[in-house]
Amino acid sequence: MKIGLRLWILIIILGLSLLAIKPSFGEGVVVKSVDKNSELFNLGLRGGDIIKSINGNDIENKEDYSEAVEKILGGELKRIDITTDKKEYTFLINESLPLAVDDIPSSRIKLGLDLKGGSRALVQPEGEISDSQLEDLIQISRNRFNVYGLSDINIRGIRDLNGNKFMLVEVAGATPDDLETLISQQGKFEAKIGNVSVFTGGSEDISDVCRNDANCAGIQSCSQSQEGAYFCNFAFAIYLTEESAKRHSEETLKVGVDSTGQYLTEKLYLYVDEVEVDSLLISSGLRGQVTTQISIQGSGSGATREDAFNNAKESMNRLQTILITGSLPYKLSIVKLDNISPNLGKDFTKYLLIAGALSILMVSLIVFVRYRKFKITLAVLLTSFSELIIILGFASLIGWNLDLPSIAGILATIGTGVDQQVVIIDEAKRKQEISVRQKLKKALFVIVSAYLTALVSLLPLYWAAAGLFKGFAFTTIVGITSGVLITRPAFVELVRRIEEKTD
Amino acid sequence: MEEKTRNWYDRNHKIFLFIVLAFFVFCLVYLFIFQGKNGDIIYKDVSLTGGTTITIFDQNADINIIKEKLRERFEDINLRQISDFGTGKQKGFFVETGSDSEEIKKEIETIIGYELNEDNSSIEFTSSALSEGFYKQLRFAIMLSFIFMSIVVFIIFRSFVPSFAVILSAFADIVMTLVVVDIIGMKLSIAGIIAFLMLIGYSVDTDILLTSRLIKDNEGSLNSRIRGAFKTGITMTLTSIAAVLVSLIVVYNLSETLRQIFTIITIGLLFDILNTWITNTSLLKIYIERKERRK
Repeated sequence: MKIGLRLWILIIILGLSLLAIKPSFGEGVVVKSVDKNSELFNLGLRGGDIIKSINGNDIENKEDYSEAVEKILGGELKRIDITTDKKEYTFLINESLPLAVDDIPSSRIKLGLDLKGGSRALVQPEGEISDSQLEDLIQISRNRFNVYGLSDINIRGIRDLNGNKFMLVEVAGATPDDLETLISQQGKFEAKIGNVSVFTGGSEDISDVCRNDANCAGIQSCSQSQEGAYFCNFAFAIYLTEESAKRHSEETLKVGVDSTGQYLTEKLYLYVDEVEVDSLLISSGLRGQVTTQISIQGSGSGATREDAFNNAKESMNRLQTILITGSLPYKLSIVKLDNISPNLGKDFTKYLLIAGALSILMVSLIVFVRYRKFKITLAVLLTSFSELIIILGFASLIGWNLDLPSIAGILATIGTGVDQQVVIIDEAKRKQEISVRQKLKKALFVIVSAYLTALVSLLPLYWAAAGLFKGFAFTTIVGITSGVLITRPAFVELVRRIEEKTD
Repeated sequence: MEEKTRNWYDRNHKIFLFIVLAFFVFCLVYLFIFQGKNGDIIYKDVSLTGGTTITIFDQNADINIIKEKLRERFEDINLRQISDFGTGKQKGFFVETGSDSEEIKKEIETIIGYELNEDNSSIEFTSSALSEGFYKQLRFAIMLSFIFMSIVVFIIFRSFVPSFAVILSAFADIVMTLVVVDIIGMKLSIAGIIAFLMLIGYSVDTDILLTSRLIKDNEGSLNSRIRGAFKTGITMTLTSIAAVLVSLIVVYNLSETLRQIFTIITIGLLFDILNTWITNTSLLKIYIERKERRK
């Protein structure tokens, strides 16, 4: 059978779509992020590398990885061998691996948060801000997340139909418990002696903050209170700029030494967002001294020793983050916060596939009952399927996240696609004195008209509701457009061949 | 036989049109009264009024007890089971309330006796200010969509009555579906509103087919053209209903979002049969016959 241009176009586009989706069946876990201060990073391990084995244990998936990593934990310095798809790494470590990993994706199709789990926060600054101010806010927030150690995160500015501006933060997969604080906390850090501000967070007053270095940052001690709760204390060093160090010394001169002679009578009070978080005794030796290094302390509590330890570590990380990045320029409020469990999505994907398969089956059945022709039914089936592949291919190509609204959009597209195929078949079969080619032209008129009405009715949705339903509008527009340009013409050619043969 | 049905159709189609139009007017009045009573033409769920939805994966929890206990503190609570499509077994449940997420989360934790985390639950919170804004924008978006669609229909057919008939029957689809949704007490979410938007696309399809067959073709009698268009159009609608209905059954107890989308489209498609093949067809038939008589 000679294949015409329209079919060739369909076949080529389908091939390209499959290439874009790029299904893969590799084993291992893919590195999503590496701590930049770690030895592994210095050795050359990077995000995107695929870990194949750890200490001789084959790693096929995330469960294997967790198992292998658990064996490493334990406090002593241990030798670790990691084999990736690129090279082998050997190093010593006494804490958890500075990595975030994930299963190798089975294709380039990206699922949205509501299908794969994760968190989404829509944050609104209080009061009006300009576009460039929003950009600043996003920049600082992004920096804050990076410093905090969250890398698989997507932040962008959003404007809705009413001109409201939002910052949308999306975290894929597991979410830290304190995401809410991290996002909305303005993080205005201030250290005061008495009522006088000595230094604030950010690079203006603080030249460096010690992190990930056991020599100057870490959990100092843990203890149990009489009520049974545990407490852990952390401390880390910060380095003041010369100016703020001078201010510090001047202020200490103004206060006296207490009765023991060890400490000054005033403490160094630490405030975050105007709430006192801790107060530190100032040793008398520092009085009037220009010291650039200051130790910041705090604590965390919990029902178990482990809880307290983790709490303290989190608090320390948060405080370090604020001190490094400085405060956010605006007060923020979280207007929408969704935490979607990854377990929910697994089910969704499975049942959506079942629903899709059953739907296509039912539609084919109806088409077969109506036309009693195997070839026509097959053509409808193949066309619907190609439409699906093309939408998925396009989505993979531009890295679009398929969320639930997107899936609804795909279903809508395939539904209208079948409708239009029915129009084509019926036009071709009508008993008229004109050629099949002319009949099909009439069908195309209906199809293009229907396409245009659907297209314009979808456009407003693109901007409404802070763009949360962009997915639906987008997949539907891509679907119906590819339908009109690619699959429908190909289907017309298929039907013409089938009909002309029977004529 | 053929001649007889044709005559029967010619004699009675205006009566059908009248009945459907009367029903349409009834629906408009219903929505008007509904609006007066409830302040809006629909019931809204927490995604449109603000509040929290918590989904908890718990195969063993006794939902009735939890519902009762939650009702003591949260009046507006809405709780439903999630179950597996294949086995029908409980997979968990979800709770909806206009309250803050922290409050309801704590209360649920006390009742079920364990902490909620990302492994066993999903929590979605929307502030009331935001959801009100969303609702207003979505309403505006639907109106805009409808207006855009109408303009395109006018441009395509360039003639008032046929274009008006298409737009009227799409509008009637939406209005009638709204009434059913209100009667069954469905609380619309954002997704539900999107479903109405999808409905615009679905319903206009068949109307365009009908109109182009009736006014752009001259072959055969008017009634035989109507019959031809009906055969094509009803196949289109039936395939759509079949696909949506099957999906609805699969996700029925799994996802509230999809359940609502599919339910609304199914109802809408059923009304579309009525509005395309009675409202739109009869209006067109009257229009074409008058035009021919004038010639």
